[in-house]
Amino acid sequence: MNAPTESGVLLEHLFRRQAGRIVGRLARLLGPARLDLAEEAAQEAMLKALQAWPHQGVPDNAEAWLFRVAHNAAIDAIRRDRVLGEKKDAIVAELTHSSTIDPADPDFEEQLRDDELRMIFMCCHPEIPRDSRIALSLKAVGGFGVREIARAFLADDATIAQRLVRAKRQILNRHLTLDMPRGPELRCRLDAVMEVIYFMFNEGYAAHEGEDLIRQDLCLEALRLGRLIASGSIATPRAHALVALMALQTARLPARVDEAGDLILLDDQDRSRWDQQLIALGFCHFDRSMAGDEVTEYHAQAAIAATHARAPNLQSVDWPVVLELYDQLLEITGSPIVALNRAVAIGKVRGPAEALAIVDKLAVDPKLRQYYLFLAVRGHLLLQLNRRSEAAVCFREALEGRCSEP
Amino acid sequence: MPQYILLLYDDPSSWRNISPEEMQKAIEKYTAWSKKPFTRGSQRLAEDPGRVIRMQGNQPRATDGPYSETKEVLGGYYVIEAANYDEAVKLSLDHPHLAYGGTIEVRQFFGM
Repeated sequence: MNAPTESGVLLEHLFRRQAGRIVGRLARLLGPARLDLAEEAAQEAMLKALQAWPHQGVPDNAEAWLFRVAHNAAIDAIRRDRVLGEKKDAIVAELTHSSTIDPADPDFEEQLRDDELRMIFMCCHPEIPRDSRIALSLKAVGGFGVREIARAFLADDATIAQRLVRAKRQILNRHLTLDMPRGPELRCRLDAVMEVIYFMFNEGYAAHEGEDLIRQDLCLEALRLGRLIASGSIATPRAHALVALMALQTARLPARVDEAGDLILLDDQDRSRWDQQLIALGFCHFDRSMAGDEVTEYHAQAAIAATHARAPNLQSVDWPVVLELYDQLLEITGSPIVALNRAVAIGKVRGPAEALAIVDKLAVDPKLRQYYLFLAVRGHLLLQLNRRSEAAVCFREALEGRCSEP
Repeated sequence: MPQYILLLYDDPSSWRNISPEEMQKAIEKYTAWSKKPFTRGSQRLAEDPGRVIRMQGNQPRATDGPYSETKEVLGGYYVIEAANYDEAVKLSLDHPHLAYGGTIEVRQFFGM
C-alpha cells in the first residue's frame, strides 16, 4: 500500500486549464470533426487522476501526467475506430509523438498557445450560431463544464447542452477547420473572436449575485483569452484596448463586493483594494492600443477605466475627461446604458439638476425605465437635490426593478 | 487498536458529466481524507468486472466478476483505525464518497 505523498496540493483551476489545452491539442491532431473524442479523452484523463491520485499521491508533473493519459485514451479510441482505414496509423503515430510533450516546458508553451488560438477562432466562427459560440468557447477552450456555463448564464443545463450540440453540428456540416484565417478574412474573424470575449467578460462583470464566483471566473477567462489574442502576431490596437479595459475593470473586482456579498458602487469602493498588478497590465495594453488612429468602443471603455485607475481616491477623478469619453462612447455605441453612465458623469461635472434632466429624458425608453440601475441613479440624483420622498420612491422601485440590462 | 476496511462502491458513469473543476475538487477531498490521522492506507481497484472463481463440479472455473451486470461497483478501499464499529462509522460519515453519491461498507479486519 503506497502512502500518499505530501505534495498533494494542486494549482487553482489546474484541471480546467489543462482540459482546455488537452482538447485544443487533441482536436488539432484528430481534426475538429472529432472534437467530442478529444473532450472524452480529456475527461478520461481526469477520471483516471481521480482514481489514482488520492491513493498514490499527486504525480510530480501533474500536467504531463494528464496530457499523457489523455493522449493514450485518444490512441485507444482511434485504434478501435473502424472507419479511419489507412489514416489510422498516421494519426496514432502523431498522437504517440505528442503524448511525450511536457505542457509545463516553455519550449512547448508556444505550440499549445497556437493550438488554443486556432480553437478559439474556430469556436467563434460566424457559421456557428451566436449564442453557441460563447458556450463552445467556454467548454472547448476554457475547460468549463456544462453545468458551470449554465450557472454563469442563469440558463438550464439542457439549453447549454443544446447550444453545444448545435455548434458541433455546424463544425461538421460546414467543414470548419482549425486553420488560422489569413489576409482580410483574419481581421473580420478577429473581430468576431473579440466580440465573444467581450460578451463573456460583460456577462461575468454584470454579476448581480455577488457571491457566485463562477461569474468572476468568467471575467478571468475572458481576460486570459484576450491576452492570448493580444500576445500573438495577429494582435491589433483594438485587441490591446479590449485587454486593457478587461484588466482595468477586473482590477476592481476585489473591492466590488462587501463581506455580505452585496455590490459596492464605484463611488463607495475602497480603491486601495484594487489589484495593482492588473492595473499595471491594463496600462501596458492601453499604451499599445494607441498605435494607429482607430478609436473603438473598447478604446473609450479602456480610457474611462484608466481615468478611474489613475485616481487614488474618488475626489481626484478627472470627471471632465470621463464625461468627454462617455460622449465619445455614446456616439460609437448609442447604448442606453452608456447614456445612463454619461448622465452620472454629467452630475459630477455640471451638478445633479442637469444630470436629472438628462436622466428623465432617457426615461422614454420603457425598458431602461424599469432597469434597477436607472432607478438607483435617478434616486441618487434626487437625493442630492434634497427631493427626499421622490428619491425614496425611486430606491424602492429600484429594489423591485429589472436586474438584466435592457 | 482494531482496524476497519471501508469498501467504496459507486456507479462509475456518475462521474462522466463532472466538470474538470469539480473533478479537481473531488481529488482534493479524497486526498485530504486519505491523510487523516486514523487512515492507515487506501487503494483503488481496476475499473473492470474482474473475475469470480468457484467450483463447478470438481473443477474451479473463472467467470466474469459480479459487476458485469450491476451499476454499482466496488471501486476502492480505505483502511482506518477505530475503537469499535460505532467509532469507525462516525469517523467515516464525512468521507467525500458519500457526498458524491457513493456507498461505503464498513467491515472490521481481524488479525492485523
